[in-house]
Amino acid sequence: MKSVVTTVIAAADAAGRFPSTSDLESVQGSIQRASARLEAAEKLAANLDNVAKEAYDACIKKYPYLNNAGEANSNDTFKAKCARDVKHYMRLIQYCLVVGGTGPLDEWGIAGGREVYRALNLPTAPYVEALSFARNRGCTPRDMSAQALTEYNALLDYAINSLS
Amino acid sequence: MNNRFANLFGLSESDAIAVLDKPLDQLTEDDSRYIAASQLAFFPSEESIAALTRAIENREPSLDNRIVRRKAIESLGKLKAKSGLATIHGCLTETDDTYTIENAAWSIGEIGTEDSAILETLAQLLAVPNQSYRAIIHTIAKLDYHPALDRIQSFTEYEDKTIASAALATVYRFTGNEEVMESVMEFLFHPNVYTRRLCIQDLIDTNYYPAIPYISQAPVSLVFRMRGLRMLAEVGLPTGALQAEVIGPELEKALYDHPKDLQLIHAYDDTPAIDRLIQELYETDFARAYLATKTLIEHSDRPAVGAALLQTYQDKAREDYGAHYHVMKLLGWLRYEPGYDVLAEGLNISQPQFQKSRAAAAMALGELGDPKAIELLTPCLESPLWDLRYGAILALDKLGDRSGFDRLAEDPDWSIRAKIASLV
Repeated sequence: MKSVVTTVIAAADAAGRFPSTSDLESVQGSIQRASARLEAAEKLAANLDNVAKEAYDACIKKYPYLNNAGEANSNDTFKAKCARDVKHYMRLIQYCLVVGGTGPLDEWGIAGGREVYRALNLPTAPYVEALSFARNRGCTPRDMSAQALTEYNALLDYAINSLS
Repeated sequence: MNNRFANLFGLSESDAIAVLDKPLDQLTEDDSRYIAASQLAFFPSEESIAALTRAIENREPSLDNRIVRRKAIESLGKLKAKSGLATIHGCLTETDDTYTIENAAWSIGEIGTEDSAILETLAQLLAVPNQSYRAIIHTIAKLDYHPALDRIQSFTEYEDKTIASAALATVYRFTGNEEVMESVMEFLFHPNVYTRRLCIQDLIDTNYYPAIPYISQAPVSLVFRMRGLRMLAEVGLPTGALQAEVIGPELEKALYDHPKDLQLIHAYDDTPAIDRLIQELYETDFARAYLATKTLIEHSDRPAVGAALLQTYQDKAREDYGAHYHVMKLLGWLRYEPGYDVLAEGLNISQPQFQKSRAAAAMALGELGDPKAIELLTPCLESPLWDLRYGAILALDKLGDRSGFDRLAEDPDWSIRAKIASLV
């Protein structure tokens, strides 16, 4: 799994050299941000179901057409909504916070996902809208510290960018 | 185009154009230019194409605008808008944004061109670091640009096997060297889920019929297997290269989707407890879910497994289209009679993301063997969904009621006709 540390070591090893000063600075930067990332990871893990559901619900509320008869969320029995995919991306974002790199999103979420959505004609807009909502609703200090929120939002942006 | 999502956001063409044209500083919280750009793919008009082109030409660098541009490029591709080609070609210089390049490459492939300047620009991107090589290779292959062959050949052993798969398939396509296709077929059983899923696309693109029995054993969601088999059939049946009696049973195997018919690639060191196995049904990598399914089918305490399935259905599987599907299947394989009501509910679920659960529920009702399901299943023979009709045929046949089969002899779907012919 790729992280700042594994990337630096892999690059140094490929070139048969020791990590350079700038390599070590980027590792140092990643370590300095680790506590903010882990705070965000912890808060997200504790609220994963709610965050995913809230984001998905916001999307449905914004586009009430989805609740019309015969459409994606019209069945009364399933009011709780299918937040499966949003939750999947949130889980990968949480892994990225722990790893300190975008490896989990790159390897499990994005690579190939774009092609699958295109091939099956699946719309990415609901995911993008839901993740954008999650990014815009994050609030400091209510949800987490300012630094933790910065780390979390950067990964939400990364996921939005890669899905679109 | 599949129009299942055509009106997902209820936006008219003029609404979508108005939102897309709105200056960025005048957007309100309710405006989504991204959705407008994706929605215009469903409106094949000059106005729509012009609006999408204007959106691409707006180079404001914020993330919100960048994703709109990308979507607009993709929508022009879906519209096969030849007049957008020059604008899209211009985007191929934006190599610091791999996703924009990817969408541009894909759209050029959809629109089609013989312009060697455009095709050579694409081929040169293969030498630029960190690009979406797979999408670029696909377009070069689709547009038959042979001068890129040497450059594509250098990707056949690429670390990312989804890219290697596209390169190998293109080498086969351009040279006829069939040996390379062995490697593509091996990717059907690769540890990486996307490698498994995407190599099926390469087997489709090359009309590689010898892969059919392997595709039907690949441990990926049945959606990918059935799509691969049906797309191969669409090309192979009319030309006579394939016979319905040969590919039909493979398709049925994929739809039936029993884990015993799959080559599973994971194994447990120790058999996990029922709760842990149930949790695996929520995995997005279906290879793991199929291993759990197989283990649950073989479990010695069937009533406990059945009860755990109903419990997880009530707790969260009814909201999760992956686990929902596996619960339907398992209730059938276990012949768990208390699951009847859940299956009856699954048979009529209307949300599109749960579509595969409907045929699964039909077949599971057949497994349960209760004749009272006949009246639920009979109307499914009229469903517009081929897989639900097929599932209902299998179930009704198991329940001993073939009374509705005659009128399916002229069904619009070849697989249904072949099945009925084999039964009558």
